[in-house]
Amino acid sequence: MSEMPKQSKESEGVVKALQAIVGEKYATAATHIRYAYSYDMSFVTPKLPDYVVMAETVEQIQQIMRFANAEKIPVIPYTAGTNIGGLCIPERGGILLDLKRMNKIVKIDPESHYAVVEPGVSHGMLAEALHKHNLRFGWPVGPPSASVSSCAISHGIGGLNARYGLNSQEITSMEVVLPTGELVRVGSCAIVDDAWHSTLPLPKMDGLFKGWLGSTGVVTKLGLTVHPIPPVLKVFTVSCDNVEDMYSYMHNLAYYEICDDLTAVSWWLAQVPIPYPYRPKPDDVPEMFSFANTNSFTEKEKEAREEIWQMVVDEEQKKGTSLKVTEYPEEALRARTQLPSQIVGSTKNYCKMAGAGISWPGTFTPANKWAPVYNEWKRILIEHNLSPSVRMSMYRGVHYGMLRAMIPFNKQSQEETENARKAIVECLKVDLDNGGIPYKPPVDFAIEINKRAHPGYLELMKRIKQMLDPNDIMNPGKLGI
Amino acid sequence: MEWNIPSLKDLEHYFWRCTACGTCRSAYEFGPPPTARPICPAGTEFGFEGFYSSKGKAAFARGITDGTLTFDDPEFLEAIYKCTVCAGCQNQCQIDFKPHIPEVIEAMRREAVASGKGPMPLQQNLVQSMKNYNNPYQGPRRLRTDWTRPFKKAKTPIKDINTQPAEVLFYVGCTGAFNKAAMSVPQATARIFQKLGIDFGILGENEVCCGSTAMRVGDANEFKRVATSNLETFQKLHKEKGVKTIVTSCAGCYRAIKKDYILSSEYDETMDGIQVVHTAQFLHQLYKEGKLPLTKEVPWKVTYHDPCHTGRHLNKFVVDHDGSTLWEGAYVDVDESDCLYDIPRELIQAVPGVQFQEMERIRGNSFCCGGGGGVMTGFSDWSSKNAGLRIMEGLETGMEKMVSICPFCYFNLTEGSRRVGSNMTLHDLTELIDAALEG
Repeated sequence: MSEMPKQSKESEGVVKALQAIVGEKYATAATHIRYAYSYDMSFVTPKLPDYVVMAETVEQIQQIMRFANAEKIPVIPYTAGTNIGGLCIPERGGILLDLKRMNKIVKIDPESHYAVVEPGVSHGMLAEALHKHNLRFGWPVGPPSASVSSCAISHGIGGLNARYGLNSQEITSMEVVLPTGELVRVGSCAIVDDAWHSTLPLPKMDGLFKGWLGSTGVVTKLGLTVHPIPPVLKVFTVSCDNVEDMYSYMHNLAYYEICDDLTAVSWWLAQVPIPYPYRPKPDDVPEMFSFANTNSFTEKEKEAREEIWQMVVDEEQKKGTSLKVTEYPEEALRARTQLPSQIVGSTKNYCKMAGAGISWPGTFTPANKWAPVYNEWKRILIEHNLSPSVRMSMYRGVHYGMLRAMIPFNKQSQEETENARKAIVECLKVDLDNGGIPYKPPVDFAIEINKRAHPGYLELMKRIKQMLDPNDIMNPGKLGI
Repeated sequence: MEWNIPSLKDLEHYFWRCTACGTCRSAYEFGPPPTARPICPAGTEFGFEGFYSSKGKAAFARGITDGTLTFDDPEFLEAIYKCTVCAGCQNQCQIDFKPHIPEVIEAMRREAVASGKGPMPLQQNLVQSMKNYNNPYQGPRRLRTDWTRPFKKAKTPIKDINTQPAEVLFYVGCTGAFNKAAMSVPQATARIFQKLGIDFGILGENEVCCGSTAMRVGDANEFKRVATSNLETFQKLHKEKGVKTIVTSCAGCYRAIKKDYILSSEYDETMDGIQVVHTAQFLHQLYKEGKLPLTKEVPWKVTYHDPCHTGRHLNKFVVDHDGSTLWEGAYVDVDESDCLYDIPRELIQAVPGVQFQEMERIRGNSFCCGGGGGVMTGFSDWSSKNAGLRIMEGLETGMEKMVSICPFCYFNLTEGSRRVGSNMTLHDLTELIDAALEG
């Protein structure tokens, strides 16, 4: 824990200035309030913000940013704090800007299939609202209380990735308060006030705010594509004895683009909860399990998908792979198909057995590198007495996808936390060297990315950051530049 | 009598099981259709993470044990008490912290009291009143039987169990006895018993507070004093007056006797041969046996509010204490069979003429009235504001009356209804049953 800032006239002045913007009740420097924002599930060292403020309107955020920019005080945007990369832990103190009060679903257009949300809207809230229109979104395996907006702008994944891509690829428009306090819009809403349907064909300036870990502005409204709910769910489940065979199956099936979600998990991740510390897999059970979620509008459509899937299974078995049609563990399957879910969302699946800590090497990795990276990760993690609880998911096609290992640890123990951190960073290096890129990266990861980055990339990133945030006040230190 | 009341240190392992995932913040159900509703009164009102549900309380507990947070800070002290201990967050949590959440919150308060800082000033009045009067309402003993006046006037006096034997002890509770607005609860209960010819008696001026309020605000010593006294009284009444059943219409008393008194090393021995039931259970049993003739039509449009203390506070958690099934301290499962969810609903709907409609947040996900955990005493304005939110939810059903089985909820929700200017009226289940019985 970082040292308590001394209560000074200066800090009293900051609190008063913030209270003048949001009201007395919603700005504070009280230690106990700051403490609860000082840590998350990850291995990232806890650090206290100096102030916490809860804004409710765009105008308040603009005022806060103008004030912070003038005073050169860091601002850390925060919604639910459910990421596992320490993204909202202040690296340099400052104002923690909690956006939970901005929780309006501004618009659902059931005809044009898009929704507009404020940053405090949770997946649970949006799921409820969309369901009334028989619509859905790519719900991630995070807590139902996690923010839709934060997930999307951080390139979060969801249950429709195989069909539509990342949740960030569903973004249709944005409203953003810049670090300097100006309000900007990108996408169609920049041209027509209430048109939130598309970022194209305009220059895709949403990229200035996606994947930047909250370091380029505060997204205050987000347009997102939403999709109909086909009524017929069919989940295809198979198992393999090794990752190579599983990759072969997934690559084959992904070709036909019939799945909403095409995912495989190692035996360790299929357990609820993940074993902690490492426990060997029983010899007589497969190493990899896959679920492929499909949703169809009619029984005939479902049967057509089944026909394709059966053809893939036959082909893979003819190749002599270890693929078997199998049952997926029941609770784990519910956790993967009934989203948002309290089972995975509450980390029951992830860290119930370890206690408090969960972090990852979470990456986008070329699919043809999954197998070699998995095998290396498995070696590293077992060496650290950690379960190789790995997930692989196809993103909209076959060329790349998500490869990650959910690593629980006992956060009460510094030793066990450090053990997990070391293992995870080691895994990350292996992945980077195989062409993978981590998402929602902790600072340790950002440093490793930048070590390998093209100098032109780093220079461009610095120039963009400097242009948008000349005083480096937005979530400083997270990009490792 | 030895009491096994855990310290915050004893519970440290469990609040370190909290992952800070925030699932506890809202009552979410997959459905379909999915629903997500606020469940934490403090989080709803105060917003900051520390106030929110079990995630925030785990942060406070960690801060206390690592020395960062101290009760010398009056704002922090207040924050510890700005929680209704409703266990709404507990109902959402899926990990090993779950079974221990209210316990951790109260253990922090016990630390606050032990440090000489807690509870909050208005709550200190409550505890002092218990020491002076054996009740939290600063009510002299002689006023404890004020609610029985109509019975004396009607020449149907209630038996004094101190002097006359009876199989049933009606343990009235302090709220029903001293809070004028809530006196209708024991009155309706006693009228029903008389109509049904139940052989029951009351302790009258000799009744001592159950200790629930003291326990909820962290004064374990005061709780132990009155709880010990009550256990001894119950045993004496069993042996000398033939008491076999203790009935209470108060959710707080019921929760205290069922869940807090078992922390006594002598509970099983002392309570051998005595069953403790809530009035709703007692009447439901009679109803099942065909001994509750609900014959009069009562044309009420009713919704039902689940009190926390007769609902999720009575969850039984299966915990692997010795690690023989999963691992030491693992939360395995929850058993809701003791929670009084179905019984009141069945009785309400058994009354001829009643139209019944559920609110959105019910049973384990009921939204607390806002009065629990010492909040009604310590922060009355917030308490009634929160009750107003619950009343608004009740109004959305289109019903006109909200029925419950807790005099605390009854009083606070009445305040809430007044505050939001609604016509929704509060009624104890006993009032509805009384209206449906001839006589």
